[in-house]
Amino acid sequence: MDPVLLASGLVVDFGAVRAVDGFDLSVGAGTSVALVGRNGAGKSTTMRVLAGVLPPTSGTVVIAGVDAAHDAAAVRAAVGYCPDVGGLIPRATPWEHLQLAARLRGMDGDWRSRGRDLLEQFELADAADRVTAGFSHGMGRRLSVVLAAFHRPKLLLLDEPFDGVDPLGVEATLRVVAEARAEGAAALVSTHLLHLAVEACEEAVVLKGGRVVGAAPAGELVGEAGRARYRELIT
Amino acid sequence: MTSALVQLRALAWLRWQMVRSPGARAALCLSPILLIWMVQLVVSSAASLTHPALVAALELAPAAFLGFGVLAVVAPLTAGGGNEIVPSSQLVVYPVRPRTLFLGGLLLAPANLVWVVQLLVLTAETAYLTLDGHRLAGGVTTTAFVVCLTILGQALAWGVVGLRQTRVGRRVVGGMSAALVVAAVLIVRGGLGNRFLDASPTHTVVRAIAAGPGQRWLVTTAALLLASAGGVVLGARACGWALSRPNDATATGTSVVVRRRPARRTALAELIAVDRASVWRASALRRGGLVLAVLPGVAAIGAAIPWQSLVVLPGLVAAGAGLLFGVNAFCLDGSGAVWLASLPHDPRLVARAKVHVLVETIATSIAVVLVAGSLRSPGTPTAAQVTAILASALASGAMVVATCLALSVRRPHRADLNGPRDAVAPPGALTLASARLALPAGLIGFVLEGASHSEQWWVPAVVAAPIIAACLLWLARSLARYADPQVRSRIVQTVSAG
Repeated sequence: MDPVLLASGLVVDFGAVRAVDGFDLSVGAGTSVALVGRNGAGKSTTMRVLAGVLPPTSGTVVIAGVDAAHDAAAVRAAVGYCPDVGGLIPRATPWEHLQLAARLRGMDGDWRSRGRDLLEQFELADAADRVTAGFSHGMGRRLSVVLAAFHRPKLLLLDEPFDGVDPLGVEATLRVVAEARAEGAAALVSTHLLHLAVEACEEAVVLKGGRVVGAAPAGELVGEAGRARYRELIT
Repeated sequence: MTSALVQLRALAWLRWQMVRSPGARAALCLSPILLIWMVQLVVSSAASLTHPALVAALELAPAAFLGFGVLAVVAPLTAGGGNEIVPSSQLVVYPVRPRTLFLGGLLLAPANLVWVVQLLVLTAETAYLTLDGHRLAGGVTTTAFVVCLTILGQALAWGVVGLRQTRVGRRVVGGMSAALVVAAVLIVRGGLGNRFLDASPTHTVVRAIAAGPGQRWLVTTAALLLASAGGVVLGARACGWALSRPNDATATGTSVVVRRRPARRTALAELIAVDRASVWRASALRRGGLVLAVLPGVAAIGAAIPWQSLVVLPGLVAAGAGLLFGVNAFCLDGSGAVWLASLPHDPRLVARAKVHVLVETIATSIAVVLVAGSLRSPGTPTAAQVTAILASALASGAMVVATCLALSVRRPHRADLNGPRDAVAPPGALTLASARLALPAGLIGFVLEGASHSEQWWVPAVVAAPIIAACLLWLARSLARYADPQVRSRIVQTVSAG
């Protein structure tokens, strides 16, 4: 079966700085992969490229069989993206974010019940009409995950979704990843929290200097031996 | 703790370091030289004024000084106390003194095109008043007046900010503002404008400048300098008081719950609704917008402007409206720009929505001022004057919109707009942007004012048509530039940088 995400030879240069240096990855349907690595390893830049926010300097991205260079809009339609920081329009409410996403994605009338369900699942229903600028960091993260999962994407890209999120929010996020996999979608989760990466994903890919330097079943990164192996990979 | 001046120097140095573009650095270095050159030009051209023009100019002197006083109060009020060298949200972990913030605001007062223009007007009036000598003494008094009013205006603004931290305070300030507007209308309607101007304390300053060195000059100048020194102390205390008061409206109003609106039918309409809300839910933009709509309107009513002079107004008002958010329109999306960029849509829709909201804002501001101004304009306008006013509104509005989008695409800035003192761009960038907007828009106004003297009604329309066409082409080019993924991603990265 074709992979949902196929990235090959991705390179991203910011002037003289090479942020991503020949990134290759393939993620199949119904699977989830953790993207781990130190600060500055290129995880968020890679996620932005995969989400279609940042054009790569070179390399190819194929999502759900569509080459991003040929049909960026179709790729964005297939992706649900939670950016690493913020990702929310400051003076819009969660409900207005959902309305905007529904219109831009061309979703049918069913979006309201889907939106309400997700807001309740992430305990944001009471804040649905509050301007997001007043949200705590954790609330913002939770809403970003809601927006990423809203349209049942074929590829879920979650960048630091657990950062500053309370245990109930973490559980809801893990549930969203599990549901996506169950529905045949793929998930790529970037995080520094190894134990949650292990919980959310079957496989972990280690990024260093903008390129994949190792991959292992997520289960092998637990325990003292797993942590030692991880340290070995990232240093 | 370090002194306020040491802190001010450190902040100014930090801000200078944050200016990365060599062009912007050169512009900042050249701006004081340019100002001195303009002052010299104004002073040296005073002698060439004809006698009737000189008499008219001297009669206007007290009003000109009063106008500067009004600006000195309004400008810091619209900035929520004063402009910030470095946004306060970035300074929360540092023990910055209120006196530093106050002095920083004073340092930035000249970074305002209207302030500079008013300063040049006062320079010209001083030159006329001292044609027979005493130019140095007159200059000292005018400088003392400018410094004093700038300091007192900012001190007053901080006092108002402090008052507005509570519900009762906000009502008091609202009541006083309404009373001032009513009083202004009554003065104008009752034909008491001249008597009001005659009672202005600026007559004392004007007489002291005209008199030259002597007791009157000494007392007036000394009083202004003393008031300046007192104003610094008072202002720093007012700033400290305002910042120490808890805000009972949840600090910045960002936790507000809003009424749910129905979903819009199209993606563009949805984007427009979100952008419109982003403007009016930002306290800094809301306050700026209200001032923009009310103040020029009141001034236009009060001045009983002749019909041909109304032609110039749309350009100036449009330039002010553009500065509200238009010069950095994509900052409205904040960090949400990244999420928005990941949604499947024609990216030009995002830019078109911003243009739509900007056009609405500019059109409303121009309409308010033109309606207010036309209420007391003497006589009946000619057909050419009516055409010229409409053509000026369209042409200068189009020029401002096109310039704003070009600036937004070329030089985006990150701006949170969460706090009352947050601005859409750094002070230097805003000053340059205001010049980029006001000069061509003003020029269009003056060209069409000339065309309004024609006997043919269509002449102003013919003059404006190519300007409008050129602006629409420029606008289309900026939209096409925004559609380029590389350009768009640079904008998204900049406005969403956390």
